[in-house]
Amino acid sequence: MANQGENNTKLGIFVMAGLFVLILTFFMIGKNKSLFGGDFVLKARFSNLNGLMEGNNVLYAGIQAGTVKNIALINDTTIEVTLAINSKVKAYIHKNALVAIGTEGLMGNKVVNIIQVKGTAVNVANGDLLSPQKTVSTEEMLQTLSKTNNNLAVISEGLKGTITRINSSTLMEVIDNKEMGENLKASLRNINKATEDASHITYGLNTLVTGIKQGKGSLGLLLTDTAFAGNLRQAGMKIRSASEQTSALTKQLNEVVDGVHQDLAYGKGPLQVLLRDSAAGSNLNKTIENLQKGTDGFNQNMEALKHNFLFKGYFKKADKKKAQLH
Amino acid sequence: MKIPTGKTGTPMGEPAIVIEHLYKQFGNNIVLNDFNLTLQKEENMVVLGKSGAGKSVLIKCIIGLLRPDKGKIIVGADDVTKLTHEELDRVRSKMGFLFQGNALYDSMTVRENLEFPLRRHWIDVTQKQVDDMVAEVLENVGLAQTADLMPAELSGGMQKRIALARTMILKPEIILYDEPTTGLDPVTAREIDKLILSLQEKYHTSSIIISHDMNCVKTTADRVILLLDGKCYAEGTYQELEQSADENIKQFFE
Amino acid sequence: MTTLTARIRAFFDETGNLSRFAGHFFSLGIKPRYEFRELLAQCYQIGYKSFPLVGLTGFIMGLVLTMQLRPSLVSYGVESQLPVMVGIAIVREIGPVITALIFAGKIASSIGAELGSMKVTEQIDAMDVSGTNPFKYLVATRVLACTLMLPMLTLLGDAISLFGAYIGVNIRSVTSFNLFFTQIYQSLSFGDVLPAFIKTFFFGFAVGIVGCYKGFNSSKGTRGVGISANSAVVLSSVLIFVIDLLVVQLTDVLGLN
Ligand SMILES: Nc1ncnc2c1ncn2[C@@H]1O[C@H](COP(=O)(O)OP(=O)(O)OP(=O)(O)O)[C@@H](O)[C@H]1O
Ligand SMILES: [Mg+2]
Repeated sequence: MANQGENNTKLGIFVMAGLFVLILTFFMIGKNKSLFGGDFVLKARFSNLNGLMEGNNVLYAGIQAGTVKNIALINDTTIEVTLAINSKVKAYIHKNALVAIGTEGLMGNKVVNIIQVKGTAVNVANGDLLSPQKTVSTEEMLQTLSKTNNNLAVISEGLKGTITRINSSTLMEVIDNKEMGENLKASLRNINKATEDASHITYGLNTLVTGIKQGKGSLGLLLTDTAFAGNLRQAGMKIRSASEQTSALTKQLNEVVDGVHQDLAYGKGPLQVLLRDSAAGSNLNKTIENLQKGTDGFNQNMEALKHNFLFKGYFKKADKKKAQLH
Repeated sequence: MKIPTGKTGTPMGEPAIVIEHLYKQFGNNIVLNDFNLTLQKEENMVVLGKSGAGKSVLIKCIIGLLRPDKGKIIVGADDVTKLTHEELDRVRSKMGFLFQGNALYDSMTVRENLEFPLRRHWIDVTQKQVDDMVAEVLENVGLAQTADLMPAELSGGMQKRIALARTMILKPEIILYDEPTTGLDPVTAREIDKLILSLQEKYHTSSIIISHDMNCVKTTADRVILLLDGKCYAEGTYQELEQSADENIKQFFE
Repeated sequence: MTTLTARIRAFFDETGNLSRFAGHFFSLGIKPRYEFRELLAQCYQIGYKSFPLVGLTGFIMGLVLTMQLRPSLVSYGVESQLPVMVGIAIVREIGPVITALIFAGKIASSIGAELGSMKVTEQIDAMDVSGTNPFKYLVATRVLACTLMLPMLTLLGDAISLFGAYIGVNIRSVTSFNLFFTQIYQSLSFGDVLPAFIKTFFFGFAVGIVGCYKGFNSSKGTRGVGISANSAVVLSSVLIFVIDLLVVQLTDVLGLN
């Protein structure tokens, strides 16, 4: 009899433990769900939902902020999405916030990201319509990356040629030689364009990295988890420093040319010109070397990126297109 | 063919069990073929028969464990072949059944085995009464010290005695014994015989005893029947059958 | 040719008999008298006593699953999703099915053997004669105990499995207990948990009913007992997969995914 009682106690503990796990699970899941049970909703309109469904999560600054409550077709190009927003988060969302559709995890569910925008705006009210963020697609971003990369390579090649020639001749010759002058000017124009491109790519990379932080897209996720994020960021920095140096170079060259012209105009002696020449030459050399390093580093990163399987498809397509063009 | 014998033994007029035209067949194996029998009240009837003759099948039909193909088995006022499970249960509460293989519950102690038939009256009896009843039957079979052992810890003969104790714990009006003394030493076997007789005396039970043990038959039987070819081949007192010239009967008394 | 038709016939006979046996459970089992004491004793035997086995296998399963999944997730660069992946796999499918299979191996065989030997040694008949309905006393209690205890075992097994997975994650990298479970709970929805939980009742019922059916219909002799124990495990394991398949289809149709 006593034994039976003891067994029943053990059984009771066992069952209570099982029920505890069950209740805990339901409670934990229920907590996530019921928080968004309120009536506070926001709306957004998209032309393409990319598979977003009712019940998908809504994130604000990366925090769980609600769920997708309803999806309705308004006309042939517009879909209105209603978002049920967690009462704790709603106080922090401003009217100028943007919404975008992203992906949770590599192959995960779609999510709606609410992105805070700098600047002051009043808090959202129930039923407000938020505007969608113009998103740069991965495809576009990669295209820009690769184009800029190619441009930079060509430019740095051309620049190298020009500089070598500058180095092997005196500056006087450079200025006297009409053809060389044209070359240099062309190079300068290219450098300016490269600078523009470089700043463009830096912007692109920044967007990418922001996207990563918001868990946007499979690419974004991939990048958070691998060394590629670091690589890309490094590449961005290299490009930026290269672009800075390019502008420095342009400025220097301009200065040198101006200086020479002035010296000659003011009748300074050739000795002075020569002195300036050598100083400017070594200066120029150093800048160019730096530029070279920057583009090399970037090239390496691009190469590494090409070997990642996820991008293989893209680069293959690009190669094919190139082959067709040629 | 029926060996004619005079009606013997029983003083009471009212029968405890009446079996009429009983048929039972397993596939092509005809076991009972128009079997008839009447068991009087307070009568001890021994059923003789060769191994495989259908003795166990017969008493299983009586207690309702097997359904006969045809025929009537009247116990008291009820025909057990036509009863629902609940009604059958009511009839069974008056009957005890000793299984040939003991059928002790091997996951329970001896005490729990003995208490098991009391579950039928669980609500009406107190723990004190239960303990008393268990102690009494254990005393009867001479195994008072084994109450907390498991059946597997007992010898074959002890198991048989516990099974017997379990059969009689409810003091049923009718007891069906399937080979109560098989596998026991002669001394214990005689004790069992005495127990059967004393039970009958004390509680006025009617019993059907299946046995090959002629000593047991001799001491306990008011009447003996011989089961052969699914029929009641011979019927009479021990002495009557002993003196029979019939080959089939003589075999058992040699 | 005749053997083939005979076999097909036997298959349907068996199916019919098993269904009738299960039907008996619902028609007879729900009527008084209720064998509460025996039910509790069986719950203890079937549930509590199986817990160490289920816990151990669950722990190892979570650990191994994590270690096996890690390399491919690393090569996809989504190592951080390891808890989510393992969590979903365990909660939705592997936990319930493996627990049920382990349970079938342990319980269906023991019920089959126990009832089989009780049948062969006429203990079941003895109960019947003693005024205790053996179907209620032996079958209904065991089936009910299986039906109720397997969900409990699965819940605890899942929890232990996830703990094993947590250790598995921490072998190669570091994650906090809190983060690990927050990640899992956030990725889970009622649609993941409820069907997985509900199907374990059916698994338990299948194990119990098959074990009892095989034991109750055991043929004479120790060989018959062995065969009932063995075929109880085989049939209940197959049934577990069949039920699993049905549940997946059903949750799909009901849109619970
Ligand atoms: N459940 C059953 N299924 C099929 N055949 C059975 C069944 N029970 C008994 N039989 C057959 O019925 C016949 C009689 O069996 P029974 O057990 O009554 O013999 P018995 O007279 O008790 O023999 P023994 O003295 O050896 O116990 C045997 O041929 C047996 O094969
Ligand atoms: Mg027999």
